[in-house]
Amino acid sequence: MSLEAVVDKAFDYRGNVTVVKTDGSETVGYLFNRNRDVPVPFVQMFDVNGAGPYTISYLEIRTIRFTGRDTAAGQSYAAWLRAKEAAKGALHAEKDSGRTPPRDA
Amino acid sequence: MSVPVSQMWAVASYVMKQKLTGRKRYPLVLMLEPLFRCNLACAGCGKIQYPAQILRKHLTVEQCLAAVDECGAPVVSIPGGEPLMYPDIGRLVETLVARRKYVYLCTNAILLKEKLEAGLFTPSKYFSFSVHLDGLRAEHDEAVCRNGVYVQAVEGIKEALRRGFRVTTNSTLFDGVSPLRMREFFDEMMDLGVEGMMISPGYSYSKAPDQEHFLRTQRAHDLFSAILSNPNRRWRFNQSPLFLQFLMGKQDFECTPWGNPTYNVFGWQRPCYLLQEGYAASFTELLETTRWENYGRRSGNEKCRDCMVHCGYEPTAVNHTFASWRGFRDTVHATVTGRF
Repeated sequence: MSLEAVVDKAFDYRGNVTVVKTDGSETVGYLFNRNRDVPVPFVQMFDVNGAGPYTISYLEIRTIRFTGRDTAAGQSYAAWLRAKEAAKGALHAEKDSGRTPPRDA
Repeated sequence: MSVPVSQMWAVASYVMKQKLTGRKRYPLVLMLEPLFRCNLACAGCGKIQYPAQILRKHLTVEQCLAAVDECGAPVVSIPGGEPLMYPDIGRLVETLVARRKYVYLCTNAILLKEKLEAGLFTPSKYFSFSVHLDGLRAEHDEAVCRNGVYVQAVEGIKEALRRGFRVTTNSTLFDGVSPLRMREFFDEMMDLGVEGMMISPGYSYSKAPDQEHFLRTQRAHDLFSAILSNPNRRWRFNQSPLFLQFLMGKQDFECTPWGNPTYNVFGWQRPCYLLQEGYAASFTELLETTRWENYGRRSGNEKCRDCMVHCGYEPTAVNHTFASWRGFRDTVHATVTGRF
């Protein structure tokens, strides 16, 4: 994968990434911007403490690792769907128990 | 229509001034997002999925005011995130009102009653709460993935109205909505006494948790036609009647992505409120360096193909009103008759 493609993927990723620079140093944080339509293409990011924005040129980047959790993975929505299903199940169980006479009746 | 005359005049004179000066691209509503943090995680929302350090960030009031000045739009909409969680929301609104900007604070209203009781806001013709309600109780609680939110929002609306505030509602519609239930919802909002309602189809955010219920164009036309045909005379909408006609398939508009520019902790969002293809450091840079020809339905951009959202098409509708006698006549006719 080309560096441009990796940067695009990191830009689309809703989690923290680690930008590994050509000098060996690393910056961990959220990459929120990238611009290739300028003479010196760059990315911008806030680090894990929210400091920044830091601007890093493409030329300085060796690679990018996807090290943080993807916050768009939909956990809260999945939890809501599970809770709804559980509530439905409980309601059905309640109805069923109301309709079925006790065995010893 | 329910937009106050003073607001209509402010917008109309602003648009006329832009046209007279020959300005090709101008903003109508600044979408000012002071923070992304929210106390809900709605199924159709793609705005809040960020790491913790980003959710903790917010703009300063000074940054907000600089963006408002730079943009120059007569209307400022404050969405988010949940703006009532913004620590300086009272000061921000007060300052914008003092500058005679028409402010819409877009809130889920969970905190509204509490903030009103704390005396955070003062009623003004320049200031309106725009309460997010996607339908009646069952539908709204489903949309926001939490039971009880509709009741909280209605309590907040009642309290705001009792204190003399302008209150509007904003509703995002998804596939599967019952036209009959939406009509009942409109009736209920009018019974509550809100000034007007805003409706729009949802945008298919790639980051939204629920990817199954976004409306495609023809289904949107069918749905909005079913909802808005034979409107109840009592219904009042806080938006352009031509936009409502567009939703029904009676107007063929193209998107105006620069009409509602967005500013947030990342800068000026490119190209619009819905798509995130990068950020510009200034509003001028946004206008001058965004490849606008790549956006809108006629551009062939797949991300724009089924989009009919108000932030792109309401500016077109407003512009259409002032672009020709026909547009002006259509707007006046729909406004006077209440029919779309």
